[in-house]
Amino acid sequence: MKKILDNIKIWWSTLFKVWIKEYRLVFSDLGVVLFFIGLPLAYPIVYTLIYNPEIVYDVPVAVVDNCRTADSRQFTRMIDASPYTEIAGYASDLEEAKTWMKERKVYGIMKIPADYSRKIGRNEQAVVPIYCDMSLLLRYKSILLSTTDVSLQLGSDIRTKKIDYSPAALLSTAVGETVDTESFFLGDVTQGFASFVMIGIVVLILQQSLILGVLMLGGGSSERRRKNRGIDPEEIPGPMSASLLGKSLCYLTIYAPLTIYILHYIPVMFSLPHIGNPLDYLAFILPMILAATFLGQMLRPFVVERESSFLVFVFTSLLFLFLSGLTWPRPAMSDGWFMLSSLVPATWGVEGFIGINSNGASLGLMSTPYLMLWALTIAYFFIAVIIEKWCHHRDLRHYNVPSVP
Amino acid sequence: MNFNWSALKHAIVDGIRQLVSRPIYLITMVGVPLFCTFFFLDFMTEGLPLKTPAAVVDLDNTPVSRNVARNLGASELVDLQYRPTSYAEAMELLKSAKIFGFFMIPRDFQADAEAGRETAITYYCNMAYFIPGTLSFKSFKQTAVTTSGSIVMTTLVGAGLNEGLVGNLMQPVVTQEHTIGNPWLNYSIYLSNSFLPCLLQLIIFQVTAFSLLQEIKRGTSVQWIKDAGGSVTIACAGKLIPQFVIFSLTGLAMQAMMYGFWDFPLNGNLLNMIAAMLLMVAASQAFALLISCMIPNLRFALSILSLLGILSFSIGGFSFPVEDMYPAIGIFSYLIPARHYFLIYTNVALNGFEIYYCRWEYIVLILFLLAPMGMLWKLKRYSLNPVYIP
Repeated sequence: MKKILDNIKIWWSTLFKVWIKEYRLVFSDLGVVLFFIGLPLAYPIVYTLIYNPEIVYDVPVAVVDNCRTADSRQFTRMIDASPYTEIAGYASDLEEAKTWMKERKVYGIMKIPADYSRKIGRNEQAVVPIYCDMSLLLRYKSILLSTTDVSLQLGSDIRTKKIDYSPAALLSTAVGETVDTESFFLGDVTQGFASFVMIGIVVLILQQSLILGVLMLGGGSSERRRKNRGIDPEEIPGPMSASLLGKSLCYLTIYAPLTIYILHYIPVMFSLPHIGNPLDYLAFILPMILAATFLGQMLRPFVVERESSFLVFVFTSLLFLFLSGLTWPRPAMSDGWFMLSSLVPATWGVEGFIGINSNGASLGLMSTPYLMLWALTIAYFFIAVIIEKWCHHRDLRHYNVPSVP
Repeated sequence: MNFNWSALKHAIVDGIRQLVSRPIYLITMVGVPLFCTFFFLDFMTEGLPLKTPAAVVDLDNTPVSRNVARNLGASELVDLQYRPTSYAEAMELLKSAKIFGFFMIPRDFQADAEAGRETAITYYCNMAYFIPGTLSFKSFKQTAVTTSGSIVMTTLVGAGLNEGLVGNLMQPVVTQEHTIGNPWLNYSIYLSNSFLPCLLQLIIFQVTAFSLLQEIKRGTSVQWIKDAGGSVTIACAGKLIPQFVIFSLTGLAMQAMMYGFWDFPLNGNLLNMIAAMLLMVAASQAFALLISCMIPNLRFALSILSLLGILSFSIGGFSFPVEDMYPAIGIFSYLIPARHYFLIYTNVALNGFEIYYCRWEYIVLILFLLAPMGMLWKLKRYSLNPVYIP
């Protein structure tokens, strides 16, 4: 009985000793401080500033007007007046317009056919071809939005005018409205780019900076072990589970204020979508941070040197961004990638934070990602304990003599 | 002047020896880029995420409303996985991201429409997920507009107007989009062509700084410079030339995967793209060398280069156009080798234009190679007095 009590006492004292000691290790290491504090503070601001103009306005378009009538000029004027496009100039023929496109002076060419006006006059359908540069989808989208709007608007003007001259004139007022169509947007109501992408990226920044910092600490520990015959002098002996948990609690407390800054103040500062309940999204993100700390400790053995943590981990940010389903929805992924994405804490973090922050969902509606995060937390904790124990033995055997990697 | 060829030969042999001394070099230089290329191309191999999960709320439940729902279900863009019975239920599904949009047909829709009373079709899209939101919006809008149009048409024909006239009046002016180079609106073609070279650039940044400044960290830099006959240029060349060969082969393999195996559009001359890739590799090495000379500390240089490498994906203007960024930020895009590669790609591979129109991009990439020349003295000075700050 006494033995059990002693074990419990040792477990708790290790936990607190490691927890306190870890603060010293973190704050005495400039590199780790940079990634734990500098990066989460600065990166969201830099990132949002890049995307903050939100919408692609006034994409330059060339007009090849083979019709040259009042009707065709009205069409051109309306395209120019649209917020999404502007007319860069009249080209004399398609070749000239193409040259402008090659010189990147225009990203679209609108060719009004010679019979445009005649067709409208004869109650036939007029077709206006538009050639779009496809290097960036946002530019294409702006051109598409503007031309669709203009053709619908022109169409309804022409229709009303024509029907006014017909025997059915009495109907014309009613006709426009019998069946209305209305669209409503959730989440990113203005369809701005920053409002869409930043909500996911901030969650990813939290996870990646945290894991990178943990890996860097781990790399430092590996270097010390190599020099000290497999024993890290900074390590406090005791149960592995207690020391892992102690380290995680240290990282968690450092990240608490940063999380509030990133999840609350960044959206407020840049007026990104932000309609969630703070208690909901903070409670939601807690297991993601914990899972990330354990994932970082789990990956530690792969980093044998402080600096190599950059090489083995930075590129994963890109993969995790796509696996998160922010751009490519998760239901459309193939089974293998879907499963892989389920193992990344940020995937669930992004899904839940978008739901709560942008769509105003409650924590209850986000129960699937929330429970998945807790499951990952528990799984990664145990895997980290096992890996760490195994590595401990390996290091003692391996580093009999001091060495460099 | 006599060039020290034997020193260069020794330096290159040492450089190769360093690359094979630890698995991390070849894994990051070859394994990671090729795996990421496979990831991107396989991940988005369908081109567009078709069959976006969506729902229809049919409060009317009449032959007309069921027909509308059937039309919607036939679209390849959405997959009507749910049939919620109320707005609240559908909204819950939408907020929890089980669906990305829903379409609502109101009560008494058929009766109101036939009697000419006002009624409205509404649809809701979750734009927090850009692509599925937009795709569901597109198919909802199409269905809503055609439904509304066909009902207006019936009313007008019933009022005595000529059927042919009414048909043309529904859409007197239509625009016809021709999407040059990417007629399938393939998302992977748009994204992989810019993101993958930028990823290679990130890895070149890291490996270049890692291999150079490793010498200072380990304190072996004095010997390193001495072995190169006291010339920092030869010392750097010894490391960077073998790396250039490996990175170039990796870059060309990436191009082969994109244009060969995945059949991405290549409307211009392949040689121009190969030249662009080789220049981008060399320019990225030069950029990393410049930073390593300016900050000859392994960890700081690696941190800076990693941060810049990740920011390049955004500042490079691969998704948001540079001309729409704040000018004070957009101007930095010119400092990114991958940006110039991307501009060459759009002109050469995507649009098939003559390379005359992207001559400046080639020239800028060549100019990158000159950038570190003026700073090598600093690397030499620090190499001769190595201090490692942990």
